[in-house]
Amino acid sequence: MVKKYNKGSRIEYRKRDILFTAGLWLVSLILPDPHLPYRREFIKKRDFFYVGALLLLPLILSGPLVYLMVLAGIYAIVALGLSLFLGYAGQISLGHAAFFGIGAYTTAILTTRYAVSPLEAFGASALAAAVCAYLIGKPILKLKGYFLALATLGFGEIFLVMVRESRSLTGGVSGIFGVPWFSVAGFAFDTSLKQYYLVWGVLIALVLFAKNLVRSKMGRTLLAVAASEDAAASVGINVAQVKVRVFVLSAAFAGLAGSLFACVLSTANPQGFGLGLSVLVVMMVIMGGMGNLYGPIFAAIFLTWLTDVLGGFQEYSLPIYGVILILLLIFFPDGVGTRLNERLIYLISYWGRKRRRERVDI
Amino acid sequence: MKLGKKCVVLAMCLSLLFLFSCSQKPKEGSPYTIGVNLELTGPWAEVTKTVKQVLIMEVEKINAMGGVDGHPLELVIEDNGFDQGRAAAIMTKFTQNKKIPVVLGPWEDPLQGTTRAIAEREGITNIIFCPSNPMVRGLKQKWSFNIAQSDIIVSRKLADLCLARGYKTILVFPGNWPLALSLADYFKQFGEEKGLKVIIAKETHAPSDIDMTPQLIKLKPIIEKEKVDAFYASTGGPPGPIIVKNMRALGIKTPVIGTHAFGFGFVIALGGAAMEGVEFGAGKPVVPYQLDEGDPVRPIVTDLDKRMKERYGQGLDQIAGHAHDAIWLIYDALKRCKGEVTRAAFRNALEDTTEFVACHGIYNYSPTDHDGLSKEDMVFIRIEDGKFKRLKF
Amino acid sequence: MNPWIHIPQLLAAGITMGAIYALVALGFVIIVRASQILNFAQGEFVMLGGVVTFFFITGAGLPYPLAALAAVLAVIVIGFLLHLLVVYPLRKASVLILIMATVGASIVISNTSALLFGTLPKALPPFSGDLPLELGGIRIVPQNLWVLGATFLLFFVLYFLSHRTLVGKAMEASSTDPLGADLSGIARNFMVFLAFGVSAGVGAIAGVLVTPIFYTSYNAGTLLGLKGFIAAVVGGWGKNSGAVLGGFVLGVVESTSIAFIPAGYKDAVAFVVLLLILYFRPKGILGSPYIDSRRW
Repeated sequence: MVKKYNKGSRIEYRKRDILFTAGLWLVSLILPDPHLPYRREFIKKRDFFYVGALLLLPLILSGPLVYLMVLAGIYAIVALGLSLFLGYAGQISLGHAAFFGIGAYTTAILTTRYAVSPLEAFGASALAAAVCAYLIGKPILKLKGYFLALATLGFGEIFLVMVRESRSLTGGVSGIFGVPWFSVAGFAFDTSLKQYYLVWGVLIALVLFAKNLVRSKMGRTLLAVAASEDAAASVGINVAQVKVRVFVLSAAFAGLAGSLFACVLSTANPQGFGLGLSVLVVMMVIMGGMGNLYGPIFAAIFLTWLTDVLGGFQEYSLPIYGVILILLLIFFPDGVGTRLNERLIYLISYWGRKRRRERVDI
Repeated sequence: MKLGKKCVVLAMCLSLLFLFSCSQKPKEGSPYTIGVNLELTGPWAEVTKTVKQVLIMEVEKINAMGGVDGHPLELVIEDNGFDQGRAAAIMTKFTQNKKIPVVLGPWEDPLQGTTRAIAEREGITNIIFCPSNPMVRGLKQKWSFNIAQSDIIVSRKLADLCLARGYKTILVFPGNWPLALSLADYFKQFGEEKGLKVIIAKETHAPSDIDMTPQLIKLKPIIEKEKVDAFYASTGGPPGPIIVKNMRALGIKTPVIGTHAFGFGFVIALGGAAMEGVEFGAGKPVVPYQLDEGDPVRPIVTDLDKRMKERYGQGLDQIAGHAHDAIWLIYDALKRCKGEVTRAAFRNALEDTTEFVACHGIYNYSPTDHDGLSKEDMVFIRIEDGKFKRLKF
Repeated sequence: MNPWIHIPQLLAAGITMGAIYALVALGFVIIVRASQILNFAQGEFVMLGGVVTFFFITGAGLPYPLAALAAVLAVIVIGFLLHLLVVYPLRKASVLILIMATVGASIVISNTSALLFGTLPKALPPFSGDLPLELGGIRIVPQNLWVLGATFLLFFVLYFLSHRTLVGKAMEASSTDPLGADLSGIARNFMVFLAFGVSAGVGAIAGVLVTPIFYTSYNAGTLLGLKGFIAAVVGGWGKNSGAVLGGFVLGVVESTSIAFIPAGYKDAVAFVVLLLILYFRPKGILGSPYIDSRRW
């Protein structure tokens, strides 16, 4: 019986193997790799493929889509930072919009009031967000689960109230207008196309940084903390310190993104930095897959595009958005890329297996 | 070889994207397209719903009349969800569409900062409904036009009301958003010019506050100490009736004066009996049938009121008036455009508008004044027996 | 000016707010006692309670008490649906996914309500007149007394349900020891299902009681829900008595703080209280059966 099974399935097996490989190859072209941190290679051919696609994309996209890609790139920077905190270290934050806002306000205040150049303000934004994250992270990062989510959410709300009420500094609800374009040595990024290359250039630099980080000792430590804090502590990892560090780092990413946001939209007002943005960014990380650097970027593009398309549905846009969020969470709780990869692999292999099983039964 | 295949896949993906982006481009044709960028979801949905209804109704009417010299009008309505990024993205989308000479909206101040900047940069006319705060006004605005009464004329009108009523000391309780604050500041400025004593309270309220009792408890001693004659609720939307209701529950009997934002039916519905005796200055559509017989605005307002009741079962309000005025101003400017309608030609035609009679009054734009209306286009109103009653002094 | 002269009146306002927070917090506790799920859409039940009652009165022309009853029943059905459509499919998912899913549900519920009933705030008539009572210089609206009475009544009913009935004990068992509950034949998912219904009902009752005092509009639920959750954490996570105590503490602190700081910072006070309590005593004032002190 066993022999017969081997004999009969040899051809089938080969066919299945080919299909399986072809399917995986196709999938690997389009989808980010869910097991990226465990791979050895640092920069692969795929990376060049992505960079090339990014460089060429504005050639075929129409104007508004380039502008959308600028916004998507900004959100992707926040999502990338959050991916380190949420995806790698396994901690929950519903307050990243506040760091984004701190970055935007730092840039807006420095450039409009003190005539600091946007490049210096860009650095200062990251610094301001990081300092705030350090101060808030020290006490609240000992919390876990729901309570950490609530504490970070509370921080976000406090930030919004502060911004609204300290009118002399932040301009209250109306915010600050007239933030200058981002400029480096006299070269102003004043069109969508230039801003596109600016934002995605910053993003590529940050991706390289993050890729290095997750392959370093720090990255392994983060994964250990996410897996089990007790176990991580028992092998000599200072869990509290690691959590604060990655929180500060992800806040600095958000601060950089906020600075770009203020320069691109030329305003900063509290409307953009509420719970809605925090939820959107967490959604990007979940959709992109935990412990994955490319996924959140794809998710950022998708969700930014989605909210824009939903604008055309007028009154129905927010209800539809909510339903889509829930459906994505129910069907892809561990990320669209990861789940699709698994599903496709399963389907491809199942097709072969089913044929084989039928043959065995006969 | 592997790389070659990848290139093929890449080319396929890109061509798909290209097809997609092409399909989004507008169709060729003769209609004039108007972009509408509104907060159709979020806290302002009720207001923008009226705007949308009136815009659709009036565009249908214009098209039934044969359009603008044979060109029909066409609306592209998008929802920005009260989000800055989305409002900017929609505005950019409209500016890229060469068929669109003018964009209406967005409604709220915070979003206008961004969209006005885009309008100035790209050179497209942006018509704004809500009166804006001094910060937005401080930006250079060649391409932005206001439809609604500006905070300046509302404050002037209210100072007149105080003089007519003989109020000497007025306490202002402003909201924390830009329009409410600038209304309070201008009221102080104009009031003091006329010899009134205006105190602006340090306490403010947010548009989402559901209970003003705490703030009013702190204001009560000030009212007693300074012998305040009138209490000015510089606010808009739901906080107005909440303030009045909470005041009466706390036993503060000072007369209340309000902004033009009190001139909506829901304000009376929410405040109930507490709203009796509240006075304010507002646009003419609040009292369509109490206007003077000789008023040129009267036939327009009553006609719109009848058509709205017929179609939507709901009478006219100030918002509907703004939407009506916006679309007819555009119609008028398009008609006066000589030759081909370009964005610049349209802007110049709109800026040349003089003595244009619409729902809210008579519009006069000039290179120095993009606000349109004047103080004479407002009327005094008092709430009596659950209805708006026009006051004449 | 001496800030202390405002205190008595602010205290009266704070106790009313506290009763409302307590009602919302009780809703959270019911679900937590049946499963370790945090329902971010709890505030929406409160909002729906008021808005649907308003709809039944004006739209369907029902008398007030009947409309209130119908609204509570309708919201209970929505609570059941929330469990069946969102929470049950995610019963094995992580904390983060559940948070996001209930946040998504809250977006859907509030904006659908905006679509169906409009975004304008709704006001209901008070149960027994709106003539304020004057007690030694403090003015109280009679509706406040209704809210206080209902809070204590519901507290006792829920206490009885969860500590003196078999269903209540089964609910608690399925939360504290899932495996043990399974072994003793408790249908755990059914218990959570029931808990969502009861929680929605309590939320809706809170909404009906609150709407005559304040206004309910489609977006009022989120902040009320958050503050109710903070109250539940402050009092002691997972305890009925903790929820009620936490509600009153939060309401009074929030209200009296206004005497000393500008009212604009009012919303931040609750979150500062939350951060302080999470830092110094995460178990809450009365302690919590679900939080092991060692792990916090």
